Amino acid sequence: MQDLLQLLLNGLSTGAVYALFALGYTLVFSVLGVINFAHGAVFTLGAYFTYFLIGGAAGANGLLAGLQLPFALPFWLALPLAGLGAAAVALLIERTAFAPLRQRSADPLLALITSLGAGVVLVNLIQLLVGAESYAIPTGALAGLPAAVRIGGAQVRSVQLLLLLVAAVLLTLLTLWIDGTRSGKGLRAVSEDPTTARLLGIPSDRMIQIAFGLSGFLAGIAGGLVGLSVSIAGPYFGIGYGLKGLGVLVLGGLGSVPGAVLGGLIIGLAEACVPADLSGYRDVVAYGFLFVVLLVRPQGLLGRVLPSKV
Amino acid sequence: MDSLLIDASLLQQMLIGALLGLSVYLPLRCGQLSLATPGFYAIGGTLAALLSTRVAALGGAEPVYPLSSVLLEMLLAAGLAGGLAVGIGRVVLRLRGVYLAIATIALVEILRVTTLNQESLGGAVGIFGIPQPFLDPEGYALFTLIALALVSWLCDRLERQRLGRAMEAIREDELAAACQGIDTDRTKLVAFVLSAVVAAITGVISAHFLNSWNARLGNFDASITTLAFVVFGGSRTWAGPVLGGLTLTALPELLRPIGDLRLIVFGLVILVGPLLLPQGLITPERLQRLVRLVRRIPPLAPRSEGP
Repeated sequence: MQDLLQLLLNGLSTGAVYALFALGYTLVFSVLGVINFAHGAVFTLGAYFTYFLIGGAAGANGLLAGLQLPFALPFWLALPLAGLGAAAVALLIERTAFAPLRQRSADPLLALITSLGAGVVLVNLIQLLVGAESYAIPTGALAGLPAAVRIGGAQVRSVQLLLLLVAAVLLTLLTLWIDGTRSGKGLRAVSEDPTTARLLGIPSDRMIQIAFGLSGFLAGIAGGLVGLSVSIAGPYFGIGYGLKGLGVLVLGGLGSVPGAVLGGLIIGLAEACVPADLSGYRDVVAYGFLFVVLLVRPQGLLGRVLPSKV
Repeated sequence: MDSLLIDASLLQQMLIGALLGLSVYLPLRCGQLSLATPGFYAIGGTLAALLSTRVAALGGAEPVYPLSSVLLEMLLAAGLAGGLAVGIGRVVLRLRGVYLAIATIALVEILRVTTLNQESLGGAVGIFGIPQPFLDPEGYALFTLIALALVSWLCDRLERQRLGRAMEAIREDELAAACQGIDTDRTKLVAFVLSAVVAAITGVISAHFLNSWNARLGNFDASITTLAFVVFGGSRTWAGPVLGGLTLTALPELLRPIGDLRLIVFGLVILVGPLLLPQGLITPERLQRLVRLVRRIPPLAPRSEGP
C-alpha cells in the first residue's frame, strides 16, 4: 500500500511536468496548427533563469564565467520571473521563426525547420555563455520547507509536492482563462478558424502572441521546477523533455488542453511503474504508448476528429 | 593539402549527408513527412557493424576488408530495412501530416533506446574496430560518390516515370490523385520502402567509414537535421536534397574557424533559409533554367579565324 502510494506520487509529479510542457505545445498547436520545436530550448532557458535569479554563479567554461547576479531572490519569486523571461523568449521566437512565414502564407512544414533553427541557436547560445556543465539548483532554495515529508507512510520530497501544487494551480488558472474570459474565447475562436475569427474582429495575431507567451511561461516554470527537483544537466537537457512532450501531446490529442494534462499524467504514472531493473527502457514507455495510440486512435484520447475537407 | 578547404573525409561526410537527404526526400515527394530515416540508417549501420566484427568468414584472407563483403552487407541491410519498411509503412502511412512525423520520431526513439539497452546490439558503449575496406578517406569518398550518383540517377529516372509522377500528384492533392486512378496507398508505401533502403545502405557505408558504431548515431537530432537538408535544398526534385545535404553537412566544418559560434551560425542559417527561399535552393524551374543556360554555352571548339 505504501509502495503504491509512493509510486502514485512519483508518477504524478513527473506527469505534472510533462503536462505543463505539453500544454505549451498544445497552446501553439491549437492556434497555428504547427509544432514549435524550440519549445524544449525555452524550457531549458527557464531552468537557467531560475538558477541565476536565486543567486547561482556561472561555471568556468562559458563567456560569462564566474558571473553572479548582485542579488539573490527567494525561489518563490525567482520561479515566476524565470517564467516571464522564458515567455519573452517565446515571443521573440514567434517574431523570428513563425510570423515571417505566416505573412508569406508559406508551407506550415517550414515552421518545423525555422523553429528548430531557433532552438539550435538558443541551445548553443547557452553553451557559449555558461558552458556545457551541469548546474544544480540547491534544494536549500526552498527555505523553511523540510526536504521530505511523510504522507500515509510514503516518503515524499517537498520538491515533488511543490511541483504538483504549482502544476495544479497553473492548469486550473489556464482552464478558467480559456473557458471563462473574453480573451480565452478569442483564443478558442482562432484555433477553430483563424480567418473567420479575424473577420469577426478578433485580433488573430494578438491571440497567437498570447498563446506563445503563455506557452513560454509554462515551459519556463516547468524548467525551473525540474532544475530544482533533478538538476540542469546542460544546455541540451530540454531536448529529452521536448520529445516526451510530443508523445504526451499526441497521446492526449493535439490541441486539447485536458488531453495534454491526462496524457502527461498517464505517461508519468506509466514510467513510474517501470521496474528498476528495466529502467533503461523507461523512455520507451512514452513512445510505445504514443505509437499504439496513434494507430488505434489517431486523434488522441481526448482529441476531436476533424472532418476531411475536399 | 592544407590549402584545400574540403578534404576527402569531409567530402565523405557530405556525400553521406546527400544520401540521407535523398532518403528523406522520397516520401516527401508524395507529401509524406516521415522522419524515420535515421532509424533505418541505424539499422544499416548496426547490421554492418555486427556482421563485419562477428562473422569471420566475411573478413577474407587479406588484411583489407573485402569490398564484396561490404556489398553483401549493403544487400542484406537493404533487404532487412526494406522488409521492415513494408510492415511499418502499411501501419504508419495511414497517418497524415504531423501525426506521421511524430509516429516516425517515436519509432526512431524506440529503436535507439532498445539498441542502447541491448548488449548484443552494442549497448551504450557501441561496437568498435569495424574493419576497413579502404585504407584512406579518398577510397571511401569515391565509393560513396558512386553510390550517390547511382541513387541520384535512379531518382531522376523515377521522377520522369509514371511512379514518380504519381508521387507528385499525391503530394499536390491526394484525393484528386486517387480519383485519377492512382493507387495512393501503394505509391506511398513504395516511396517509404525506397527511403528505408537508401538510408540502410548509407548506414553500412557510414559504419565502415566511422570505424565504430553506437546508438546515438540515429537519434532525433539526426531526424531533424536530415529534414533540414531537404527543406533547405528544395523538396521538389532530387537535386535539392543532394545540394542541401552537401552544403549543410559541410557548413559546420567550414565554420570551424569561428569556433564556438559555428553552431549558432548553423542554427541561424536553418532559421533564415526557409524564410528567404520557401521552395528551397533548387526547384525544377531553376534547374531547367540552369540546364538551358549550360546548353547555350558554345562548345569549346578552337577558333580558327582571327579578327
